[in-house]
Amino acid sequence: MRALGELSETRYWMYLLLLPSLVMILLVIAYPTLYGMAISFREMRLTRPGLGGWVGFKHYAAMWSDPVFWIALKNTVVWVTAAVVLELALGLLAATALNRDLPGTKIFAVLILLPYFLPNVVAGHMWALLLDPRLGVINDLLVRAGVLQTYKAWFADPNTALAATVLVEAWHGFPFFALLLLAGLKSIPEDLYKAAAVDGAGVSAQLRLITLPMLKTVIAAAVILRVIGLVNSPDLLLILTGGGPGDATQVLSLYAFQTAYKEFNFGYASALSVVMFVILMIFATAYIRLSRITKGDGDD
Amino acid sequence: MIESKRRRRVIANIATYFVLATLSMFCIGPMIWMFLTSLKYEADIVTQTMQYIPRRVTFDNYVAIWTQSGFPRLIANSLVVTFLTVTICVATGTLAAYAFSRFAFRGRTQLMLGYLIVRMFPAVMMIIPLYVVMRGVGLVDSRFGLALAYTSFLLPLFVWMLKGFFDSAPKELESAARIDGSTRLGAMVRIVMPLARNGLVASSVFIAIAAWNEFLFALMLTTGQGSRTWPVGLQLMVGEFQLPWGVLAAGGILSILPVIVLFAIVQRTMVQGLTAGAIKG
Repeated sequence: MRALGELSETRYWMYLLLLPSLVMILLVIAYPTLYGMAISFREMRLTRPGLGGWVGFKHYAAMWSDPVFWIALKNTVVWVTAAVVLELALGLLAATALNRDLPGTKIFAVLILLPYFLPNVVAGHMWALLLDPRLGVINDLLVRAGVLQTYKAWFADPNTALAATVLVEAWHGFPFFALLLLAGLKSIPEDLYKAAAVDGAGVSAQLRLITLPMLKTVIAAAVILRVIGLVNSPDLLLILTGGGPGDATQVLSLYAFQTAYKEFNFGYASALSVVMFVILMIFATAYIRLSRITKGDGDD
Repeated sequence: MIESKRRRRVIANIATYFVLATLSMFCIGPMIWMFLTSLKYEADIVTQTMQYIPRRVTFDNYVAIWTQSGFPRLIANSLVVTFLTVTICVATGTLAAYAFSRFAFRGRTQLMLGYLIVRMFPAVMMIIPLYVVMRGVGLVDSRFGLALAYTSFLLPLFVWMLKGFFDSAPKELESAARIDGSTRLGAMVRIVMPLARNGLVASSVFIAIAAWNEFLFALMLTTGQGSRTWPVGLQLMVGEFQLPWGVLAAGGILSILPVIVLFAIVQRTMVQGLTAGAIKG
């Protein structure tokens, strides 16, 4: 203990503090990542161990002429965009209401945040029960309200499957937006609104001139984090539809996962996930730059 | 004039409560329905006319999932994996978060960004090589191996969240202790850690919930009963046995109970850390 205490007075101390976590991260992230990129240039099928060796860009070329890849790419864009827009809208609504600080809002805040902490497995099955074509309470309510004639198999119909999964994802993910946007709203000084009111700015002008510009950074951060999360995680779709019916809800992450887990074709699956990673990196960089430019202070 | 202003405020308040009540119902309605389903007899779930309030209540579904499906084993595995994950993160992440919060050194910003970028890596991209590596060293289907895998995406989150809490612990007390002859290590353990205790608990709970809920890594890196966690077990039950909805709902309720309790306890602190970490990132 004493020796450690003396060590802590040296100028290497902070590096020693960082060492354990750095070793962990290099071990469980850096090494597997590089290895994964290497696999994408190799043939690796668990079902046929005889195959092996470097194949260069073979997997990437195969992707080009793989119709499922293009469907999955399109679905990913549609699914992520729809989910993020819906979550941002719901989150903004929730944050604005919670920010009014009326009595009881603390309880509402806890109830509204809860879905975010529930596991995908339970969320998926819960909604499968709610939307079930035979026992689903949502079908029952819609029929009673006269919106539907008969119960509908939401996840089995190619026309509604993607929309139904977006609804479940929005339920699961909008609390995250509510949380970040609420924090953003709370950091806007009250004086700004008072000054604007004195200058004669109405509610919509205040929203346009104060709230949205002040929230821009938070919205950008929330959107990026959510897009990354949604593109990377196939959990919910794996549980709800498995990519079906047909390829109606097939997305890139799920396709990569199924290629690895069902067909044990690790090489092709790795190539798919590397492409996904590159697309994400391009998106994140472009998005950060764009949101900085629109801030209008030209510091870039 | 004043009269109309007050009236407008009342209308705005009513609108606010309406929005909050609707959103809350949207959020917890599905959970309430799952709970109600878990208390119903199978015959009352599969009926011609839907029973909104169960006419008779039973706990058979809970007994069934607990005694007939190996659920206790799954829960035990999840507990061990979660405990190991939190231990690794706390042991290594606390030191890193403290270093990031208190010292200026070369490469600090880049390193912190590096910890953040790691979160952008696709899970599938990590899982495949992790599976290959872990099969090589015999860690596939082991609870320790799974905990190590979880560390890959939870440790960076933990460091970022905890750094925020360390940042908000006043530096003056630490300086005072140093003047009184305490070493840097002594000041960290005796002064800063107790100050950041709530943050440490909240960050750990956040990591624990995420590890408890994790599905994809567990699905891929466990192959047998030895290390299978409850999300994987629950998912497999659906396919294998065509489990009745009541039993499945009971399993869901049992599994999210710890999450709800923990979230309710540290909710306020955890939300603080989460927003700080996410927005700064």
